[in-house]
Amino acid sequence: MVAFLLNDTGVDVAAYETKPLLWVLREDLGVLGPKYGCGMAQCGACRVLIDGESTPSCIVPVGDVAGREVVTVEGLPAADGRLSVVQQAWLDEQVPQCGYCQPGFLIAATALLSQNPRPTDTEIDEAITNICRCGTYPRIRRAIHRAAATLAQG
Amino acid sequence: MTRLLSRRSFLLTGAALGGTALVAAVGGVGYLATVDVDGPDGYIDGDRAVLNAFLTIHDDGRVTIQVPRTEMGQGIHTGLAMVVAEELDIPFDNRITVEFPVELASAYANWSGAMGMRPEEAQGLLAWAGQRAISAIPLIATGGSNSTMSLWHPMRVAGAAARHMLVAAAAARLGVSVAELTTAEGAVRHASTGRSLPYAELARDAAFLAPPDEPALKPRDQWHLIGRAQPRVDLPAKVRGEPVFGADVVLPDMLHATIRQAPVFGASVARIRNEAEVRAEPGVVDVAVVDGRAVAVVADSWWAAETAAWRLDIEWTGAEGTAVSSADLRNRVRAALDVPEPYPTLEEGDVEAAITASPDRVLEATYEVPFLTHACMEPMNATVLIRPDGTAESWMPSQSPTFLRSGVMTGAEWAGVELGEVTCHVTINGGAFGRRSEPDVPAQAAFLAARHPGRPVKLLWPREEDIGRGMFRSAAAGRMRAALGPDGLPLAFDALVAAQSLTLSVATRRLPFAPSPDGDFLSVEGLDKAHYALPARRVRSVHVPSHLPIAFWRSNGYSFGTFFTESFVDECAHAAGQDPLAYRRALLRDSPRHLAVLDRVAALAEWDRPLRPGTEGAARGRGIALEQCYESVVAQVAEVSVAADGAVRVDRVLCAVDVGTVVNPDAVAAQMEGGIVWGLTAALMSTLTLEDGAVVESNFHDYPVQRLHNAPEIQVEIVTSDLPPGGAGEPGNVPTAAAVANAIFAGTGRRLRTLPLTQVETIGERRTRTVLPAAEEA
Ligand code: FES
Ligand code: FES
Repeated sequence: MVAFLLNDTGVDVAAYETKPLLWVLREDLGVLGPKYGCGMAQCGACRVLIDGESTPSCIVPVGDVAGREVVTVEGLPAADGRLSVVQQAWLDEQVPQCGYCQPGFLIAATALLSQNPRPTDTEIDEAITNICRCGTYPRIRRAIHRAAATLAQG
Repeated sequence: MTRLLSRRSFLLTGAALGGTALVAAVGGVGYLATVDVDGPDGYIDGDRAVLNAFLTIHDDGRVTIQVPRTEMGQGIHTGLAMVVAEELDIPFDNRITVEFPVELASAYANWSGAMGMRPEEAQGLLAWAGQRAISAIPLIATGGSNSTMSLWHPMRVAGAAARHMLVAAAAARLGVSVAELTTAEGAVRHASTGRSLPYAELARDAAFLAPPDEPALKPRDQWHLIGRAQPRVDLPAKVRGEPVFGADVVLPDMLHATIRQAPVFGASVARIRNEAEVRAEPGVVDVAVVDGRAVAVVADSWWAAETAAWRLDIEWTGAEGTAVSSADLRNRVRAALDVPEPYPTLEEGDVEAAITASPDRVLEATYEVPFLTHACMEPMNATVLIRPDGTAESWMPSQSPTFLRSGVMTGAEWAGVELGEVTCHVTINGGAFGRRSEPDVPAQAAFLAARHPGRPVKLLWPREEDIGRGMFRSAAAGRMRAALGPDGLPLAFDALVAAQSLTLSVATRRLPFAPSPDGDFLSVEGLDKAHYALPARRVRSVHVPSHLPIAFWRSNGYSFGTFFTESFVDECAHAAGQDPLAYRRALLRDSPRHLAVLDRVAALAEWDRPLRPGTEGAARGRGIALEQCYESVVAQVAEVSVAADGAVRVDRVLCAVDVGTVVNPDAVAAQMEGGIVWGLTAALMSTLTLEDGAVVESNFHDYPVQRLHNAPEIQVEIVTSDLPPGGAGEPGNVPTAAAVANAIFAGTGRRLRTLPLTQVETIGERRTRTVLPAAEEA
């Protein structure tokens, strides 16, 4: 049994401790936001926040998150369902195309803005390493700046 | 050009008709299939009134629009819903739901796309016969950038017809004449009495009225939706991370499967050396040889299946004669350029005579591109349930329910199971790019499902199978020749391409017979330069066989043909001592539509001003390229910096596009942006390498693609046009490689004629840079 906090709710899951968090989320907990794209920490589609850090969940054994806090894309909106500032910026900039990569980008951008509220383009380039085959990068960049501006207004 | 179209219609009609299993299955699809494709009737079902094949109005006022084209990121569900909403006069808000229809109705068939015509313009016996044949199957498929082209008119008619029926229902209800009624915001209004009836109150009556034969369509000057950017209907779910993809399908009692396919395509499984050991792994339910060519592991979770599959020790056999390397295949493609009689696709004027007449003004250059794969972000998957009674249900991020169904039937056949009704659910696709019209994955899933009747089996390929064991874009080489006249412009333009026939490869996997390997119309895309004023031109092709399966790949032949021709036009311009923009302007003297697009991109790039110098001594250059494709015209300018150490950075790409009438401009812009990024990956980064017949690359660490840090600034401008809508999904990546190659030449004087233009170096975790090859390799 591995116990951790998932999107503000305590979970206790009976899975092999070596099973990657991604697959525990998707298969044992039915949390389907994080996606499988490569399984080797290359694409970022599986990114979740672990204690606030953006982490590719495909290479994290679930045993490693015992007692820690995990946030997936499903955990980004407010309790009343309102989209987070980052998600709203994503919608305002009409970022997603196919959308498969976007949960990972939303997590990566959320983590970036929590550490660096007004990132420059260079800082965005350094922080965001996910892959989007549809090529939504220009809009992702715009959406991050938009979210930063919204956050700055409080 | 007529010749290309008729070849195309023959192929696709043939492909459609050849699916005998499909034809046999048509009987049981229900009401809509029996309705004439021109005017389906309405009916009532529970709380909803179905007005026609595309449109349902619910009692509570919600509207469901059936869009029988796959949403794979291009925004087609939004665009075609806008078209219906426009004609119907309803607000474009969250009371509209878009669904991919489950019923395989004739009205949804993509006959016009398959035949390369617009429904509103199709005339004559061939069109009639093609429509009948393709609609009878029905061949429902998304591709060729033709979703808007194929459904724009039918869905306008569907909206207009429904509006007409709602007005008639209101007239009867109010006892007034139709002429006194108007519609707006989802209601019928009677101006003189101020009465207003919402559609929801009229829909049940309207459903039983006969649709008008040719409902009047809203004139362009009254459009309030078409041409104005609307938010995509699928994005709220996507930013919430909702489970909309095929990979997210979860069903009661579902089994999970993974697969290992032959490293060398065409090889088969001799034996599994350790089957018992793999079967004993935790969670494993089944280990099966699929069609003799792959081994699948089925388990109670995908992770259990995949970890067990890591242990598989498979002996492969039967791949003799395919132990080729990339160098072998490259030599084969190059050698094909010298065959004595290439297939002549097009000849206007006397090319050889012009070339012989001015030998000192003849230019010749050879270009090459490698094999590539799609690497859709959502790995290949399909879920199939085969019930003990022989009925089947399938879920897949597919570009075609028709080929999903044929795949399911094939897989069941492998297992010796005869299927009854097959229901197909097309989910949202996590990217497709031509890959997901193939029936291979659903066939594998159905074979496994047939072994576990009553339990759904979800087959998900690991990324390694997708990159290295999947389907490919052919390697290709092009030899271009031109004879320049006294004004520097070509008197003759000669294009020869050697590539594996895409038509042959695609058709072989779907038809009981193989079409001729020669004269593949898809291999010669981008070569004819019909928009350029060229006194003589010739297009020829050579089929180069390999053991690799070739599939549709975003923009098909244009993905190399335009690189060849637009690089070569640049070479001609430089040989003539002319500016590449001015040179193309001269060539476009008879093509005002293309000239307008070219001029727009030049203005965006401020071509008349020098580029700002690069930082730290980097050379800068800009290049331009233009193409007509998918009934659209697209031009791009790429601006690059080349550092002293050879590092190439694409700083900015400007794009102008004329897609004819624009439905959702923001979606068109997004397709251009995404296309450019796709094009840059192919231009600078990706290649598939073969060793002993097997693909070496396996995942994103060795099949690098553009990421945020190498993506340039992109600006897109849409050139407005009243022409009927063209395609937008593929044009975006078509000119990119040539624009970048031309920019590198402008900046460095080095003409690179082989893709990828640069070599990829890793410069940190998930970070790369692209560097010019050493001079002798160029
Ligand atoms: S699936 Fe985890 S990084 Fe790609
Ligand atoms: S939106 Fe399709 S991969 Fe990013």
